[in-house]
Amino acid sequence: MEMNRRDALKFGAVGAATVAAATMTGCSTKAGEMASSATSSAASAVGLGADLIGKHKVVIIGGGIGGMTVANNLKKKDKDMDILVIEKNDTFMSCPVSNTYIGKLEGMTLGSFIFDYAQPIQKHGYNWLQGEVMAIDRSAKVVTTSSGAVGYDILVLSPGIGYNYEAQFPTWSPEKIAHIKRVAPAALIPGSEHVILERNLNNMEDGDVVITIPSGKFRCPPAPAERASMVATFMQKEEIEGKVILIAEGAGFAKKPAFIESWEALYGDKIVFIPNSKVTDVDPDTKVLTYAQTTGTGKKDEDDFEIMKTETKTHKYEVLNLIPLNKASDVIGMAGLEVTKDTFGKVKMNGCSFQTKTDEDVYAVGDVVGHGIPPSGQTANWAGKQCAEEISARLKGGSYELPVKKAPVKAGNVCYSMVGDMPETAIMVTHDFSWNGSAIMGKGNVPKGPNGLYRQTGTAKALRDWYRGLMADMFS
Amino acid sequence: MDRRNFLKVVGATGAFIAVNPSTIQNELFANTGAMFRAYERVQLLDGAGAPIKISQLKKEMNYVFNYPHVSTPAILLNLDESTAKDVKLTSETGEEYVWESGIGKDRTVVAYSAICSHQLAHPTPDDSFLQYVQKDKPTMAFERSGVIVCSSHLSSFDAREGAKRLSGPAIDPLASVVIEVGEDDTLWAVGVLGSDRFHDYFKTFKPELKKFYGGKRKGKKLVKISAKTVPLTEYTKEIIQY
Ligand SMILES: Cc1cc2nc3c(=O)[nH]c(=O)nc-3n(C[C@H](O)[C@H](O)[C@H](O)COP(=O)(O)OP(=O)(O)OC[C@H]3O[C@@H](n4cnc5c(N)ncnc54)[C@H](O)[C@@H]3O)c2cc1C
Ligand code: FES
Repeated sequence: MEMNRRDALKFGAVGAATVAAATMTGCSTKAGEMASSATSSAASAVGLGADLIGKHKVVIIGGGIGGMTVANNLKKKDKDMDILVIEKNDTFMSCPVSNTYIGKLEGMTLGSFIFDYAQPIQKHGYNWLQGEVMAIDRSAKVVTTSSGAVGYDILVLSPGIGYNYEAQFPTWSPEKIAHIKRVAPAALIPGSEHVILERNLNNMEDGDVVITIPSGKFRCPPAPAERASMVATFMQKEEIEGKVILIAEGAGFAKKPAFIESWEALYGDKIVFIPNSKVTDVDPDTKVLTYAQTTGTGKKDEDDFEIMKTETKTHKYEVLNLIPLNKASDVIGMAGLEVTKDTFGKVKMNGCSFQTKTDEDVYAVGDVVGHGIPPSGQTANWAGKQCAEEISARLKGGSYELPVKKAPVKAGNVCYSMVGDMPETAIMVTHDFSWNGSAIMGKGNVPKGPNGLYRQTGTAKALRDWYRGLMADMFS
Repeated sequence: MDRRNFLKVVGATGAFIAVNPSTIQNELFANTGAMFRAYERVQLLDGAGAPIKISQLKKEMNYVFNYPHVSTPAILLNLDESTAKDVKLTSETGEEYVWESGIGKDRTVVAYSAICSHQLAHPTPDDSFLQYVQKDKPTMAFERSGVIVCSSHLSSFDAREGAKRLSGPAIDPLASVVIEVGEDDTLWAVGVLGSDRFHDYFKTFKPELKKFYGGKRKGKKLVKISAKTVPLTEYTKEIIQY
């Protein structure tokens, strides 16, 4: 049977795990040759030792925003570099901008968020392994996946986040956690969680939608409030009676003044923010959420501090978007790297670098990094490019000093949030990055437009263009 | 054909020429030939069809004309200070080339392709993300104004130095549109210097090309004889600038 290169690529890149071993070992440079070398790969694997299906100079775990950026930029620097990307999913789905799908904004369908890996593999020519990472042995320099084990010289981790239901709800059984994930998913990890949330909203009766904001570091700090905006616009358009309740463990949330200004103008009192409230339980059968709210009593103690009281309250919901504590992906635990002691467990970094503190051959980018920069896609893209510079310089026998060490990087992060529809309006935040001697930090700035308002129609256009550009950076 | 192939055939097909400084009067700012491609020599005319005179260009005003293709926007600027001379630029793929200088009596007039070298944001008749930010206006993209800013992902470029990248996710400079002054002060565009993104542009913006130019094929046509040059505020309905 004749197979042309394009078909071969589709087969190899997006195809099932059965060809995955071939895609690695059989192919050293060209993605297009992957499938056609399927038969010879078994033979070449033998030479690698009994357990390994391949060994690569650079192995990148995670074909998300951070991982793809590292892979693409390493190849731009050296097209012959031997790189393998390991990703468990066969297509990419974007979290950025996915709230506009919830809000049913024009042209925003599931298809707007799905990208295939075939184009970047073909364009840049790295190796690809579709499989789930199960274990990492740093002393042997081997990553074990559901599709076989691979050796590396340099390992890059960009596996993103996981959820820490266990820490937030210590009394919940694994069955209860699984149940809650099915009926009230967090939808911070793209895929079926977003589909479930959208279905729940589509099917809802009149009533309230509750979105919870956890404490600690979590993916995309403005995402819950952007989602509240998009749920409100959806309910308005569908004439669903009810409120959007945003319950936060803290006193505020990212870009709060800009969101509040927008909500008051666009949705009146439809979005209600309840601060200082820790979610303690959910009954998915009666649809009741329980939380402990701390408020002031107005009375002072002898040291002139206000006396606080904590009350247990409940709220009946129609749809729940329970966003629990986030943590670094389990892949970080598998690597046995030193992490921060908070509930997230950020990877400790080796100074002004994306090299890890624990192991000079292991790098980390994306949401898991232990710098003070925001867990956003644009930041993952910036970090990915910096990390590629570091690795590329190192493999050429040199070193790369991050420019941020010398001078602040203006607008290293820019993050837009859609707040309204018809006409679309959005708000934004930028972060300047700087090195404080122990970590790279981000300082936020939420600008107003020329008309004195935070929300702007131009910013909504910028959001769409930003998204097009970021996805093109990774996938075209 | 990718850029490398382009460069390999320089001279061989005659489609690409090295510019000999002696062939053009006034100042010339593309002298290596390596990254230069000559297109139709066209005159810049204003909205009413009258020749644009270099002396009439307002300081720090964004003017836009489409060149070298009928759908590819370029910006023309008369800066309020002289440009640098002989700026060595490097493309993302490592090619080096020299941007000689701006033109005009104080070397203040420059033209650049207005398609962002990062991910192609550009002025359209609907809106514009990429333009020069006047010195008295703030920008979030760089520590000072008086630079070209792309507000899509906040990259900035140095208008005085061949649109070299100053900040943001872009790596390449913006491509330069090579312009000349005629004897009577008229302005002419003759070619493009540096790494342009036209190919990706035509691939990426099919619906937009259809909307404004009647399709990709039509949008790809080369500009001939003259190019209408108008202030950005006339070219586009909304300027988005951070
Ligand atoms: C609703 C929402 C809106 C957002 N909006 C924005 C925005 O507007 N702007 C912005 O900049 N950012 C936004 N973000 C944040 C952005 O999505 C993340 O910060 C970014 O994706 C982080 O990149 P990463 O590489 O760390 O993780 P990811 O992009 O999640 O990539 C991790 C990859 O690793 C893979 N992986 C994980 N574990 C394994 C394993 N064991 N084996 C193999 N593969 C594995 C995953 O499948 C995934 O593909 C938003 C996020 C959400 C949830
Ligand atoms: S498209 Fe211009 S900065 Fe990204």
